[in-house]
Amino acid sequence: MTSDTPRPHVRISKAANRYLVFDIDDVMYLRRNHSICSPFVGTMPQAPQQSVFMGLPIELMAEEAQVLVEKNVAYVVDDCSYHPARITAAGPQDRQYIDAVQAITSDAERSLREGAEARKAMFANKGSSKKKGKKNVKTSDTPSSEDVIDGPSVDADAEAAAATSLFDTTTESPVATNKNPPVNREASEPWMATLTTSDSLLAPSPGQNEPLASVDVPPSYPLYAHLQDKGYFMMPGLRFGCDYNVYPGDPLRFHSHFQATGFQWNEDINVLDLVTAGRLGTNVKKSFLIGGKVEDEAMPKGKTEETAKNVRAFSIEWAAM
Amino acid sequence: MAHPEYLSDLASTVYENLENQHDWTLLESHTHKQAQDKTLLPRPLITGLPLAVELVKTHATYTVEETPEIEWVVPMHLNEKLTLKQLAAVFDSVELSEPLAEGRCKRLLMAIVHDDSTVVYYFVHDGIVKPRQN
Repeated sequence: MTSDTPRPHVRISKAANRYLVFDIDDVMYLRRNHSICSPFVGTMPQAPQQSVFMGLPIELMAEEAQVLVEKNVAYVVDDCSYHPARITAAGPQDRQYIDAVQAITSDAERSLREGAEARKAMFANKGSSKKKGKKNVKTSDTPSSEDVIDGPSVDADAEAAAATSLFDTTTESPVATNKNPPVNREASEPWMATLTTSDSLLAPSPGQNEPLASVDVPPSYPLYAHLQDKGYFMMPGLRFGCDYNVYPGDPLRFHSHFQATGFQWNEDINVLDLVTAGRLGTNVKKSFLIGGKVEDEAMPKGKTEETAKNVRAFSIEWAAM
Repeated sequence: MAHPEYLSDLASTVYENLENQHDWTLLESHTHKQAQDKTLLPRPLITGLPLAVELVKTHATYTVEETPEIEWVVPMHLNEKLTLKQLAAVFDSVELSEPLAEGRCKRLLMAIVHDDSTVVYYFVHDGIVKPRQN
């Protein structure tokens, strides 16, 4: 459970009041070491409508984000102000990133151009014999791995050049102009690329120049923190009409033991609600757990674990009589 | 010092239900603490010994059987409101005759009475206690 080397803090992005984690290593770390297994909420670009096989990021409950911040293993960044700030203020790190992207796109562009030139030459030389030409196209295409983008080659070249020249007017492009001989100017301009990850754009250490965001936790948070402290896994309680479903271990391996609902110490609880939740719990083999933060001196004596978080909880179960 | 009348009446309703419908034995009503100071309990309580049969019935599939122990019963009415603070006070007012076994928590039997004299019973544990069936 404990790692020898200090682990970098988990970066939680807060956007539109959602708490998102984008790093798969962080996701695994949270599940293994902090009993947190939030749902994946990312859709696939190819099939944005389907909602069964989701990918990164995971969306944390506000309680989970707050617990991680209190344990000092994570920090919450306000992404809404982080992104605009970073886009306007480009540092040396960002220059590296842009160079890296340009290297990737110019590689792709070069191999495409070489393929097109080879084919052009082939057609010019052996265009008279149709059969031969076709065969040659096939044989020359198969060894290269870039035949995905060789279809609309010439038109695409021109279009891409037009698009990047737009791009170039807004940002400086010393790389493109320096590297290439003026003869191939138009063909060798960098293309646009959308990479699958942008890790390298992030600040290296927590909170460095990043606007930290606060976490808005619901009133049931003390009960959540208490259960989390005891190593339980919590899932949203909608299915069983409560605040949290409480699992004694990873939900993939265990059924939940409790339906938990948090109350204020002096909040009125309807007795009928206890009956309702108690009966539902019995039907699904669970206990109804209520609890909240102790707000006066009436603390249990000798229970150091419970007083640590200063929360008291009660389990309610139908007595079947 | 005594409890309000409705609480005493509630307690007697539950007492008779336990005695006559559930055949509990060794029933006893408590209004004040047993200990030296004899202070008034936050709510009237009842102790009694359940029938072994009744407990067997609750776990048809469960082989490990618990022997009946003295249970503490707290009578409530359906229309009452409860707070965590009150519940904690009731638990803290319970004086067990013998110390709890290792890893066990205090438990109360909450008896909830409706106007048609229906009484339903719920176990309430002081802490996070795994459900019996799971």
